[in-house]
Amino acid sequence: MRTTVLETTAEETTTEESPRRRHPSATRRLLTTELRLLTRDSLTLTFVLAFPIISMLIIGGVFGTEPDDAFPVNPSHWYVASYFTVVIGATGLIMLPVHIASYRERGVLRRFAASGFPRWSFALAELALGLTAIAVAGPLLLAVAAPVYGLPEVHDPIRVVAGIVAGSVAFISIGVLLGTLLPSSRAAQAVGLMLFFPSFLLGVGGPPPAVMSDAMREVSERLPLALATDAIREPWLGIGNGTGPLLAVIAIAVVACALAARRTVL
Amino acid sequence: MSLIEIPHPADPVVTVRGLTKAYGGRTVVDHLDLDVHAGQVVGLIGANGAGKTTTVEILQGLRTADAGDIRVLGLDPVRDADTLRPQIGSQLQSSGLPDRLRVGEAVRLFAGPRATGGDRLLEQFGLAHLRHSAFAGMSGGERQRLFLVLALLNKPRLVILDELTQGLDPAARREVWSAVAQLRDTGTTVLLVTHELDETELLCEHVVAMREGRVLDQGTPAELVSRHARDVTVRFGLSPADITSAADTLQELNRLPGVSGVTRDRGDVVIRGTREVIAQVGAWLVAAGGPVPADLRVDIPDLEAALLTLLDADHADHVGRSGHTDQMGAAS
Repeated sequence: MRTTVLETTAEETTTEESPRRRHPSATRRLLTTELRLLTRDSLTLTFVLAFPIISMLIIGGVFGTEPDDAFPVNPSHWYVASYFTVVIGATGLIMLPVHIASYRERGVLRRFAASGFPRWSFALAELALGLTAIAVAGPLLLAVAAPVYGLPEVHDPIRVVAGIVAGSVAFISIGVLLGTLLPSSRAAQAVGLMLFFPSFLLGVGGPPPAVMSDAMREVSERLPLALATDAIREPWLGIGNGTGPLLAVIAIAVVACALAARRTVL
Repeated sequence: MSLIEIPHPADPVVTVRGLTKAYGGRTVVDHLDLDVHAGQVVGLIGANGAGKTTTVEILQGLRTADAGDIRVLGLDPVRDADTLRPQIGSQLQSSGLPDRLRVGEAVRLFAGPRATGGDRLLEQFGLAHLRHSAFAGMSGGERQRLFLVLALLNKPRLVILDELTQGLDPAARREVWSAVAQLRDTGTTVLLVTHELDETELLCEHVVAMREGRVLDQGTPAELVSRHARDVTVRFGLSPADITSAADTLQELNRLPGVSGVTRDRGDVVIRGTREVIAQVGAWLVAAGGPVPADLRVDIPDLEAALLTLLDADHADHVGRSGHTDQMGAAS
């Protein structure tokens, strides 16, 4: 039998004297760990990093570069601006629900709670994780698009940034909420994919609204991911100010964020 | 300069009065009273569904009680959760870690401001060589030892261990027992939830036996055994020569002091009674002059026997009361 001896040394007791001076906060420790784990998750990396880039490269070249009845601007630029939202959607509807549901399934959240992590630390860490994922994947998508299709000029940077922030917070919150509501990571993956792909095809990366039937266009205009896309794409490409979609996305962000925060209190 | 708190044995670490919790109309903890004092290792034992896990989850503020007064380290587990939880080291029954998290990363993640000596704990629990191993690749025993490391990392004033050795092989269980014994020896207050009674007898100085959310009895393991499983059993086979006079032998044994009953079980004689019976039967065998039977066996009751007796008695009492109530109902 292995014998273990528990000791207390003078060095240990001195650490207690100024615990907060050097010690990273629980939220920071959680975020650091979560980011590290993210880099080891091939499914998430595929969906958040590779899928939007590959899809954008394919569809961006399908319709050429000249505006026409379907596209009010260069179609390649239309899709470059649109696919930024794919990153947001993939993070919120696939990465976070699966990740958080797997934590619930394995009792990781209970362990965090029982170990004295502050009540809001997990919610803050997941928000920061989602924003970091988008902050890495979004510019990476643009960096790949730039030499291939060129980057569309940003007509209204403030509104574009507002759209990106509101859309990111909304979909991260929706993702966290789904992760806390669904019973398992498999269920979260199934529901996430079912929510993501119709939104992706109808509202973001599929055919332009101008070629859709009235019914499908009606549906696509009301999808949250399509609203986020319009809030970003319209002021970016100068085809509108995106105020209506932006207000709708902000409303979604406020409600989803409040519900997600409530559900993730440890 | 830091202040080191030396627990006084009389200090109440956990005080529970009238704790009640129900799920969907089913009461799982029923007016429970519980006291744990500083430096004690207290075992909560009972069959599945006894309410043990719910009780310790309420003590940590992970569930709310429907009724009752609960103080842990002088704090309310729900209202003072932010202050209380960092002072408790806990191994929950159904909680894990992310598959890809490595051992060293887990220690860094769970190390709060009070934490010290994570590397040394890993060394002491035989996990230092697994520092770069992912949680998914660890054996059951290694995982439980890691959970112990995490539970102890922040120098907790109370350690709660729920089914710590469940599913472990005998060697891994002994490793974990050794670690808990070391905790006990350093004066750490431990609340051990288990239905492994050998574990309870080995590690706990105070045992609380529960059934259906109620405390049936509590005391030291020896006190529970003494109260609920007093009878020892001495058994040996009769030699062929003695079989013809078996009836006389049984009568003689039955007259020995402390004997409460003598029976035949196939070829064996089975003598039950107080502990005195061990000496009396031994003396009788020596006095009989023949060789001491090679198959002589003495069964001394243990905590398992005590708990089974306790549960049986409670069940009989419950059935009796139900029957009485039914009859009353029928009569009215």
